Amino acid sequence: MAKHVLLNNVEHADLRVVTTRSADLGDDVMYAITFPWEFRNLQAHYPILFRKRPDTGEFQPIALFGFEERENLFLSGSGWDAAYVPLTIERQPFLIGMQAAGVDAATGPQAVIHVDLDSPRMSRTSGEAVFLDHGGVSAYLERITSVLHTIHRGLEATPAFIESLLECDLLESFVLDVQLQDGSEHRLAGFYTLNEERLRELDGAALGRLNSRGYLQPIYMVIASLSHFRDLIDRRNRRLGG
Amino acid sequence: MIKRVVIVGGGSAGWLTAGLIATEHRSAEPGGLQVTVLESPDVASIGVGEGTWPTMRDTLRRIGVSETDFVRECDASFKQGSKFVGWVTGATGDHYYHPFMLPQGYTETNLVAQWQARHAERRFAEVVSHQPHLCEQHKAPKQIATPEFAAVANYAYHLDAGKFGRFLQHHCTGRLGVRHVQDHVTGIHSSDDGDIASLATREHGNVEGDLFIDCTGFLSLLLGKHYGVPFVSRKDVLFNDSALALQVPYADDNSPIASHTISTAQAAGWIWDIGLPTRRGVGYVYSSAHTTDAAAESALRAYVLQGAGPAAALALEPRKLSFNPGYRAKFWHRNCVAVGMSAGFIEPLEASALALIEMAAAMISDEMPATRAAMDIAARRFNDAFEYRWGRVIEFLKLHYVLSGRSDAYWVDIREPATVPQRLRELLALWRHQPPSRHDFYRVEEIFPSASYQYVLYGMGFQPEPRAHPRRVDDAALAERFFGESAALAGKLLAGLPSNRELLQQIAKHRMQRI
Repeated sequence: MAKHVLLNNVEHADLRVVTTRSADLGDDVMYAITFPWEFRNLQAHYPILFRKRPDTGEFQPIALFGFEERENLFLSGSGWDAAYVPLTIERQPFLIGMQAAGVDAATGPQAVIHVDLDSPRMSRTSGEAVFLDHGGVSAYLERITSVLHTIHRGLEATPAFIESLLECDLLESFVLDVQLQDGSEHRLAGFYTLNEERLRELDGAALGRLNSRGYLQPIYMVIASLSHFRDLIDRRNRRLGG
Repeated sequence: MIKRVVIVGGGSAGWLTAGLIATEHRSAEPGGLQVTVLESPDVASIGVGEGTWPTMRDTLRRIGVSETDFVRECDASFKQGSKFVGWVTGATGDHYYHPFMLPQGYTETNLVAQWQARHAERRFAEVVSHQPHLCEQHKAPKQIATPEFAAVANYAYHLDAGKFGRFLQHHCTGRLGVRHVQDHVTGIHSSDDGDIASLATREHGNVEGDLFIDCTGFLSLLLGKHYGVPFVSRKDVLFNDSALALQVPYADDNSPIASHTISTAQAAGWIWDIGLPTRRGVGYVYSSAHTTDAAAESALRAYVLQGAGPAAALALEPRKLSFNPGYRAKFWHRNCVAVGMSAGFIEPLEASALALIEMAAAMISDEMPATRAAMDIAARRFNDAFEYRWGRVIEFLKLHYVLSGRSDAYWVDIREPATVPQRLRELLALWRHQPPSRHDFYRVEEIFPSASYQYVLYGMGFQPEPRAHPRRVDDAALAERFFGESAALAGKLLAGLPSNRELLQQIAKHRMQRI
């Protein structure tokens, strides 16, 4: 169970966070949520797909790590086997919380940092210190703060990006049947990808609109990222091989 | 050449017909067929037909509306079939389902024989289909992440018919190029050959057309009044001719919204109970020869109270409807065709009203004659198709009554053999030794599939008798496998589907996706 509380330098003065990557620490996830401005970094390592949020049906982009629930083919005995770790993985166990406005209602809810006290990353003895001895913010927390802000802005920008994809009819449902070396077959279903043919058929005006909003680059990053399916299958086969 | 279609009357019939024709015949484009809806500004459309069939999903998709908009604007909810309560004996626990999904493995083997041999103590529909289990738990037939019009479990809608008409009107005039003239028809001008040439209106002069579609409801202004096409009453078969309708608020914001129509047998008819997102539509449809309006009203109020309806509901005044069950001797005469109640009306026991409108509008649209000469051929085909369909609807509704063991005078009278159409009597004789099958209903577009007859027949407790020898399709092991699949599916979907109310609340906030 997650237990989210507002982070503060009194109660959490000696809090440390284990930043190594392993299944025990909750990194055994099949995918991570991402946003268009991260695609460029992701496409060097992971297939980028889209899925629907089960509670709202809204599309959200994800970086794929495996072919079934709790399978992360980038986790190895020695950590995360890729040069770039998606920000929504890196942020753990911190998250953005919205704090209701105080006396001055005009300011609206404020984004604040929350921490999950039940996370297995919590420690008093090892890992990165969150606060300095006299209550100051550690370099680690500064980095996390910046990561959380980037995620927050990225997720806010995602619906407009998705809207443009839907307008141009670019999203399509996607099923991948994978046959592994041991003969077993897996079906990856429930995800969506971009339709390259439709993208090629877009006229200049439509492409111009996508480009003026800054969406053309992330679109092509998604398409480039799909070549990593080969890598993902190889990783799975290597695991089978021992 | 046929270039102008004039639809008289709005409402669900007029606007559904306009939408289907205008979509198919490109009315929004230059050179497309011209479609006009001539609607009297102060004729209130009757709010009947609040249940649909799954065909409505195809109809709505075909005319290009968004399901999210439809659900939000028409106060629609999801319907997975009907539950018949008290029809067999009226005793506690007397109920059965007619779900929209075919039995699991329906075409593969004889499920009926195996159900009867090994599972007769359980209800037929609950053994052969997972859908009744979803209904009992008030589950939605899909998730918010399921694309628009796509189903996890087959479904139709409950809707507010008044809002539905306005929603379609907006779409037809805004997107499909349908012309909307709000005026009174003051006269009908005939051409020399007896066709309708134009309709005189109070403020818009003469509205001319090549084909006139009569959607004027019980009035049947063109087909009935003008052409005098006789009405064929079927009150000899289906006695109900009156209805009292009430709108009942939910007890609170968390009351379950049933995802099926509940039809509860009464002393002289039955009560419908339809769950919309904001209220329930409840009504007693009865035979005026077997009860009085006052007795019907007190039975309706007793039903509302028993269903834990708030006392406030009793302050509401029921609305009375009277109708003659039956249909016109023909539906398409010269250059005039009737769709909706102007063509016929029958008690809403299986929600056939909107489905018949969809079928009629689709057939007119699909077979739209190119010339006046071709129209007489189209008319003959249409009349043949709909005479057949009305016949099947009436027989299927009658089937619900003939197997009842209830003892009220109404129920005794309505199962009197002389009142049962001959075709149905013959089918019942055949079904003593074999289940209803596609051979009994052989047309390409049958109105009710043979599975529907099975659900009602065995739901009503019909006991088939064994044949002298087994047939190849009597595969007990295969039937058991399908029963197992159905049970497994029920377990899986009960765990994964939201409640009908939860899904409707999600749709109020989030759009369903097109893909």
